[in-house]
Amino acid sequence: MASLGELERAVMDRLWSADGAVSATELRDGLADRGLALTTVHTVLTRLEQKGFVVHDDARPRRFRPRATREEHAAELMHEVLGAAGDRQAVLARFVGSVDADEARLLRELLAAAAGPDATPA
Amino acid sequence: MLPATAAALAVLAALLAWPVPAWLSRARWPRRDPLVALVCWQAIGLAGGLSIIGALLVHGLAPWGHSLPEAWWHWVTRHPAEAPVRGDHWVTQTLAAVLAAELLGVLVLSWVRTARTRRRHRDLLELVVEPAAVPDARLLDHPAPVAFCIPGAKPLLVLSSGMVAELDEEQLAAVVAHERAHLREHHHLLLLPFVAWEAALPVLPAAGRAHAAVRALVEMRADDVALGSLTGAAPRRTLAQAIVVAAGGSGGAGVPDGALAVTGSALGERVARLLEPPSPLPGWVRTAALLSAVALLLVPTALLLLPAAL
Repeated sequence: MASLGELERAVMDRLWSADGAVSATELRDGLADRGLALTTVHTVLTRLEQKGFVVHDDARPRRFRPRATREEHAAELMHEVLGAAGDRQAVLARFVGSVDADEARLLRELLAAAAGPDATPA
Repeated sequence: MLPATAAALAVLAALLAWPVPAWLSRARWPRRDPLVALVCWQAIGLAGGLSIIGALLVHGLAPWGHSLPEAWWHWVTRHPAEAPVRGDHWVTQTLAAVLAAELLGVLVLSWVRTARTRRRHRDLLELVVEPAAVPDARLLDHPAPVAFCIPGAKPLLVLSSGMVAELDEEQLAAVVAHERAHLREHHHLLLLPFVAWEAALPVLPAAGRAHAAVRALVEMRADDVALGSLTGAAPRRTLAQAIVVAAGGSGGAGVPDGALAVTGSALGERVARLLEPPSPLPGWVRTAALLSAVALLLVPTALLLLPAAL
């Protein structure tokens, strides 16, 4: 059983690669290998709409399309999560924050200068 | 008499607002035992807030009784004051209320805002990350070497494809162990009060200093925990290499230009500490530091609750 998060990703992939808007039925048929019920597709689409990633038109049947292209989404993600606008608190634990070229070089030298403490028993 | 208590609390508050954080952020021992230092910082933060609000409250309520609980009860039950009430009593009462509301309010606000940002980040990420080869980790298709985790009920540990490409298996395991340590020990909760109080008290240089020190200590602590779970031949060097690669230093050997002090930066400090581990704190120093942290919390609490003996 696929998690909702995984289904959301699969549906988004479909929407991103589709030409223009897509109906829920078409999405279900496109994801036929997953054997999804139409209600499940609707649930996933509703969640994606609530999160602001998908918009629908008023045609009958309703047709859905992504609010931003895949590239725009990736750019937004890098900007918000890792970029200057990123809230440092939210991503608590970025392994290493941004570093300028000088500091990167100094770190490299520090590593090169040390013989390695594990080489000799402490 | 209450005025003596108020004065004692005010002195404690002044010490905790400037000299104590300044001393601890300059001290060299915290890098030898980040965990004990983190406990001390939490105690300083809590005791500082408690003593400044307590000092104002005790002075403001002095006319109503001989101990804070008694005076508070008389004040709440509209009991007439035992001594003349002057303007400064009303002023300090108001200040205590405003300060308490601000500190707690900012803490709650900061919690809510961070939780919302995290949810947004998680939503953005979930659409594009794929399961990674490492258990529990997600892979983000991006050339820059980045790794991070988003704490919460459903924590998310993300590695970029650039990170996976540039690190060998052992280094990658070190990065993941470091991030898992943050999540397991809930380091975001240790940081929260310092973030909030830096926002609440921008005029207090110690607030910014404390935040920076706690942030650096949390990273060192995660390094220490990660080392405990690594199995390679030289885990310290492996983790240091991973840090240097992630900092964009994977290129060829640079020309030495040793004038700049790399140990001035938090990252340099982290790498230096991994490569040349400082000796651990002696047991008695550890105990003394932990006892001081406990005492730091007990002193203002006792001053607030016990009837003044003088």
